[in-house]
Amino acid sequence: MTLELASLSTTIRRFRKIGIIGIPPLDVIRAANDNNLVIHDLDEPLVREDLETASPFLPRVYCAILRTAVVNALHLELDAIYVDTGPGKCDCALHTATILAEALPIPVICTRNMDNTGYGYPLCQAHQPLLDRMQAITAGVKSAAPYDNPPPVSMPTAGFWGVPPRDFSILTLFPETTHIFGWARCMENKTPADHDLEAQFNPLVPTVFFAQSFCAKTALARYLAKKHPHALYLDVDVHTTGSARAKVQAFLELSGVEP
Amino acid sequence: MILGDFGTSYCKFLDLDAPNPEPSIIATKDLPQDTRVDLATGHNGKRFSARYVNELIALARGGEAMIVEDDYVLLDCGSRDIKFIRYQNGKLADMGWNAECGASMGFTIELLERYYDLDYSGLKVPEQTFSVTCGVLGMSDIFDTVISGVPVSEAVARFVKGIAINAYRFAGSPARLYLSGGLCDNPLFVGSFPCQVTPLGRFVLLRGLETEARQRRANTLA
Ligand code: SF4
Repeated sequence: MTLELASLSTTIRRFRKIGIIGIPPLDVIRAANDNNLVIHDLDEPLVREDLETASPFLPRVYCAILRTAVVNALHLELDAIYVDTGPGKCDCALHTATILAEALPIPVICTRNMDNTGYGYPLCQAHQPLLDRMQAITAGVKSAAPYDNPPPVSMPTAGFWGVPPRDFSILTLFPETTHIFGWARCMENKTPADHDLEAQFNPLVPTVFFAQSFCAKTALARYLAKKHPHALYLDVDVHTTGSARAKVQAFLELSGVEP
Repeated sequence: MILGDFGTSYCKFLDLDAPNPEPSIIATKDLPQDTRVDLATGHNGKRFSARYVNELIALARGGEAMIVEDDYVLLDCGSRDIKFIRYQNGKLADMGWNAECGASMGFTIELLERYYDLDYSGLKVPEQTFSVTCGVLGMSDIFDTVISGVPVSEAVARFVKGIAINAYRFAGSPARLYLSGGLCDNPLFVGSFPCQVTPLGRFVLLRGLETEARQRRANTLA
């Protein structure tokens, strides 16, 4: 065990319940798993509290995922928070970490995830409801175990590129044969900083390029959508609006994608 | 089979079983609450029918039925939103629906006409324009301009031109576009676009609904 790993293990052993923002390195997750810690993924809505409770800390016009993380951090009783602030996340998370470190009485530990050993992305290419697969991918960040019995690769009929959205309801509009691309794919592969993998798409299937509003990835999503021969660029804030739903429905139907 | 396009300000209907089906129109505020149709689209459509076609699909199907070219941009300017579809080689290439920043533009144009007692057919397209992104925000530009001594009709015309330019940019600044919606009847609005405009009238979504209805009928019979 290296000195760094030893000190990580000594530190993490003191905690029982930790929160994570972004994807901390596998060493952190492994140490948490080894010590049977409860891990809360703060990027997901976990508490029934108004997003407004984040407003004293973050501007209202800010990534809804990080506003959600702040609400979770304020309302869950955690012993520590690990925030990935490396190239696999974003500056918005770095600034959020700074703010939380001052606002909370617990350690807020910044990490820099440079993991580059791919675990594969079978769920991204499986034939199952998109929402279920995205939930499984996001749940997967709490475990360092390799994937058992990966489902077979399906023939894609549509693509979803992007991060797991703040509001998963948009995913119900896609067929089960939708392949997942973008950062969500990097997430399943456990290489969140793999920008080459993030930029991949399949030009042969109609693809929705999705980003959270106010995220820097809106630029990448729009850029890639322009390169893709059959794409829809979409950014959504806290909830999927009626017009965003209608755009996705119309895009898929008019592109001849079977439900 | 009765089709209905339930807009924010106006509702349009078409009875496919009538001998010579002709669309009819009624102000939304006068619509009986117990109205029921067989197939609906539009902002309020879900309340009046069990079967609903989303507005972008209705617009696209309407465009497919009414436009012969393979490459075109069709822009719909409604009371509360603007949306467009772009077809290339007969296939959907791009689309947009702006219900937030395009909010209430059509509604505001109509409101101003009544408030200031104007007749848009008598107004010339002005040289100048406002930078308008939203109907509500654009109103304060009108008031400021009027206070500075510009005639009301000129200020409103600048506002209308600003809305047309905003909608044109939203649709991707094409050299030519087809226009859908009640604003097709507003010569000042149509003339304010900095490109060639072909107005298709306010029944494009209804035509799209007709295409969908006939398709669904054919599928049921097959
Ligand atoms: S969606 Fe974008 S801004 Fe929000 S946390 Fe993820 S990378 Fe950062």
